[in-house]
Amino acid sequence: MINFEEELKKFHPSLEVEDAEEAIYNQDLTDMADLLVKMIKESEEEAQQQ
Amino acid sequence: MFCYNCGCHLSEHDFCTACGADVSLYKRIMYVSNMFYNEGLEKAGVRDLSGAINSLRQSLKFNKNNIEARNLLGLVYFEMGEVVAALSEWVISKNMRPDKNIADDYIDMIQSNASRLEAINQTIKKYNQALVYCRQDSKDLAMIQLKKVLSLNPKFVRAHQLLALLYMDGEQWERARRELQKCINIDCNNTQTLRYMQEVELMLLPEENVKQSGRHKKEESVRYQSDNEIIIQPLNVQETKGGGFSTLINIGIGLVIGLAAMYFLAVPTAESAAKNEAQKSIAEIGNQLDAKTASIKELETRIADLQQQNDSLNQELQGYVGADGTLNTIDNLLTAATTYLETQDVWQTAANLEDIVQNIEIRETSEAFQKLYGTLLGSIGPELSKTYYADGDKAYDGEDYPAAVENFQRAVYYDQTNAEAWYGLAEAYRRSENNANAVATYDKVIELFPNTEWARRAKRYKDSLAVENN
Repeated sequence: MINFEEELKKFHPSLEVEDAEEAIYNQDLTDMADLLVKMIKESEEEAQQQ
Repeated sequence: MFCYNCGCHLSEHDFCTACGADVSLYKRIMYVSNMFYNEGLEKAGVRDLSGAINSLRQSLKFNKNNIEARNLLGLVYFEMGEVVAALSEWVISKNMRPDKNIADDYIDMIQSNASRLEAINQTIKKYNQALVYCRQDSKDLAMIQLKKVLSLNPKFVRAHQLLALLYMDGEQWERARRELQKCINIDCNNTQTLRYMQEVELMLLPEENVKQSGRHKKEESVRYQSDNEIIIQPLNVQETKGGGFSTLINIGIGLVIGLAAMYFLAVPTAESAAKNEAQKSIAEIGNQLDAKTASIKELETRIADLQQQNDSLNQELQGYVGADGTLNTIDNLLTAATTYLETQDVWQTAANLEDIVQNIEIRETSEAFQKLYGTLLGSIGPELSKTYYADGDKAYDGEDYPAAVENFQRAVYYDQTNAEAWYGLAEAYRRSENNANAVATYDKVIELFPNTEWARRAKRYKDSLAVENN
């Protein structure tokens, strides 16, 4: 049985057009490729230090 | 595909041919990203928009620069009515690849139509307001807002779902099912929609089971939808097998009801139409009457004005006409002529003529009047002119220039050919330092008596006045 109150909590206000700019700036765009490059660079630095 | 280290184009090898960096893992990440993109594309193709969103997000988690995946994600959001999310994805895409990017067209499509953008914003605001109403337990208001939202943006899945939830809460299961069906038509594999649908089907099932308990009856039942209502024709309702008599009675009753309805509905309408027509005619006649009344008033005003004008003219005429009906001015002229003929008194005659001039304009009188007036003036003029000239000359010698001017003016009035008087007048003006009149009078002397000593003198003095003025 569906609980109305519980289900209502799953609905969130929609972003308005004025808020789109902020949403774009705040979006985390880090991807797997970034992480890989970062890891490779860190390992290279460690190797150089040793 | 480009090397993450130096940006060179990668070959089929697992290392970069330009910088030698190991790109095997990097290539795998790119492949996985493309795989998720392909999956997302397939899901979007069969309207599994929620699944497509998940796949495309995964694709972007592996490679944020996958422009096709990002553009498609925006498109899927747009299809689900999430316009701001779609715009965000397209803006990021455009930022990553400014040229030859279809996201540019999508953004233009929305931004070029300001009214559409405003409508989208209104939709979002109304949806948020509906959500607030739900939380305040104002479910009726929330439903109204959501219906408005869906009339503006019929593909807004979240609004459909919220409306369905409200219907479910109000146990309007059939309506909830219709909303959920609309959700499924847009996004066929949305978990939340399917969950709600399951619940709704469960609630509707027992009722249908009761109705469909017998297979035979099910086949006979007729069920159809009219607007928002589902009409189910009752089963096992048999028409009574009556005789033709009852049918005739029913037809008769129907006719009577029809006639009554006609009497009570059609006749008042016709009467009302006739009354309206009559009222229109009365109003039109009233307007015409008003216009005519206004016209009569205007004409009456004009008549009054003309009457007043007539009275004033009559009064003026009375001033000219004497007791015996002849004009006073003619009388005065005849008196002046008689006086001159009998007494040869030029001063009295001049006084009589001046009286006449003060009362009327000589040029406006009859030809005979002007002729007699001219003859009298010509007879007395030279003598009077000489006298006035002598008086003027005397005043001039006594340096009483205003008196000199007055006498010379009279002298030239009574005899226009008196060159000495004209010259004397000009000189008197000059001495009075009335240079403008002096110059004008010198000009008159030059004009009336050309090639004379008076004209030469006048010119000399006029020139000297011009030099003084300069």
